[in-house]
Amino acid sequence: MNLSREAERQRLLLAALAGPVTAAAPGLSIRESQARAARGLEAYRANAEALAERALSAAFATVQAMVGEENFRHLACEFWRADPPLRGDVGECGDAFPVWLELHAAMARWPWLGDCARLDQALHHNERAADAVFDAASLALLESTDPARLALQLMPGTAVLRSRWPIATIHAAHRVDEAHSEAAFAQVRAALDAKRGEQVLVVRQGWRAVVCELGQAGADWAEQLLAGASLSAALERAGEGFDFAAWLGTAVREQWLKGVVELRD
Amino acid sequence: MAGETAQAGAGIGLRQPHYAELFGAPPPLDFVEVHSENFFADGGAALAVLHQARALYPVSLHGVGLALGSAAGLDPWHLERLDRLVQRIEPLRVSDHSCFARAALRPGQPVVHANDLLPIAFTDAALAIMVANVTQVQERLRRPMLVENLSSYVSFADDSMSEPEYFAQLCRRSGCGMLLDVNNIMVNALNAGANDPLAACCAFVDALPLGIVGEIHLAGYLQADGIVIDDHGSRVRPDVWRVYEHALKRFGAVPTLVEWDTELPSFGVLLAEAEQASALMAKAVVA
Repeated sequence: MNLSREAERQRLLLAALAGPVTAAAPGLSIRESQARAARGLEAYRANAEALAERALSAAFATVQAMVGEENFRHLACEFWRADPPLRGDVGECGDAFPVWLELHAAMARWPWLGDCARLDQALHHNERAADAVFDAASLALLESTDPARLALQLMPGTAVLRSRWPIATIHAAHRVDEAHSEAAFAQVRAALDAKRGEQVLVVRQGWRAVVCELGQAGADWAEQLLAGASLSAALERAGEGFDFAAWLGTAVREQWLKGVVELRD
Repeated sequence: MAGETAQAGAGIGLRQPHYAELFGAPPPLDFVEVHSENFFADGGAALAVLHQARALYPVSLHGVGLALGSAAGLDPWHLERLDRLVQRIEPLRVSDHSCFARAALRPGQPVVHANDLLPIAFTDAALAIMVANVTQVQERLRRPMLVENLSSYVSFADDSMSEPEYFAQLCRRSGCGMLLDVNNIMVNALNAGANDPLAACCAFVDALPLGIVGEIHLAGYLQADGIVIDDHGSRVRPDVWRVYEHALKRFGAVPTLVEWDTELPSFGVLLAEAEQASALMAKAVVA
């Protein structure tokens, strides 16, 4: 029994599918004629290309809208070959796509594309994050416990992104209906001309992940919470202008907050 | 055996465009089937829908990513996620395919996952790999699973046994059952240029031991340029229905899924296909 022979056969077949379209590698021992084998391998390649597009478009919808479906299809296939998935769950694919896009020579005209992809990715991850229920009773700790010994936990999947590009404005422009499209893209152009960076909070609203634009203090604050900082440390970082009471009201109403916990020594 | 025939009936795949009709007025179905990997996330809407479906129907978890025939072995992450899903859903059946997908592209490089159902050879070595991997899954899940025969677009000249013989040995040595995809047998027979594809398919069915088939899959196929593709994008073809009837005569009523994954039809058309499977099962039981 030759186990290494099977391992090598599988490696050769995978390599034949990932590589250029040529006749099958001789070590594969394919039964079919050369033409027939080529047609069979082409069917697998077509499957892989369709899957690459489907998987990445599910996770990077804004990027797809920005570059167009045809370009996105080519990019998805190119990325799939350059950085093949390691997992058998396509929902987990594409972690390296934002960086890969940034380094892609053909994408150099759109230097904001990488950060737009990161925002798509944060939304995708948020919608796959664990479900959690707000612990309303834990708010009582705010009255009874030293803020240095408390931490506020945000809902799973919450993320903060900072960009030197107007990622929230770009994201929003790709979601408006046709009647409002012109005005939305005028805002994008104006934001790009003004070289306006944006920071955003990604949170879940119902089952959908949404983007909330943040000010500097709000981004500092949320980053501290996500890093597990104490309430007092997070407040100090956010600065005197930060309105904690207003934020707390919004966080409870919008279900950003999972609860308040006591920090252990 | 994996998959009991006592509760034989027809089921359909759970697909998003049909949610409103399915949950609005749940039709009488014996089970619904989903692709396990679509529910591997920690949470979110998909999982909530699956729990909703589970409250209405038994659920069959059908995987496309375990890559059971991979000489590189199983991905522990994948197995952990599947185990978690099995515990969450308590499925009626758990199944995956007789295929590989995990291998390194070059010696010494990391193992990648093709996310496709790639064909294995029918050799003693490939069988040993499959038996070891299926055993590992069953030990982790603490339950037997079903393994499905593939439609494959290439095959191997050095096969040392027939596919039915391979499945007979796999089931005997690992304790798993077989998910018999009747459409895949037909696709393979057509692609092999069989003189009489129907006879070839019936011979395949006749060569399988009694008692190993725990579920049957039915689907449509696509006749493309020079090749037949198992695309799950149309009604079950008449020739596939005939092989199905032959299988029912041999095995008795077996839980049967109508797979339709692309070019989704109206919910009514899909239900009609499942009803046809149910009617043939009932006929087989009476006969």
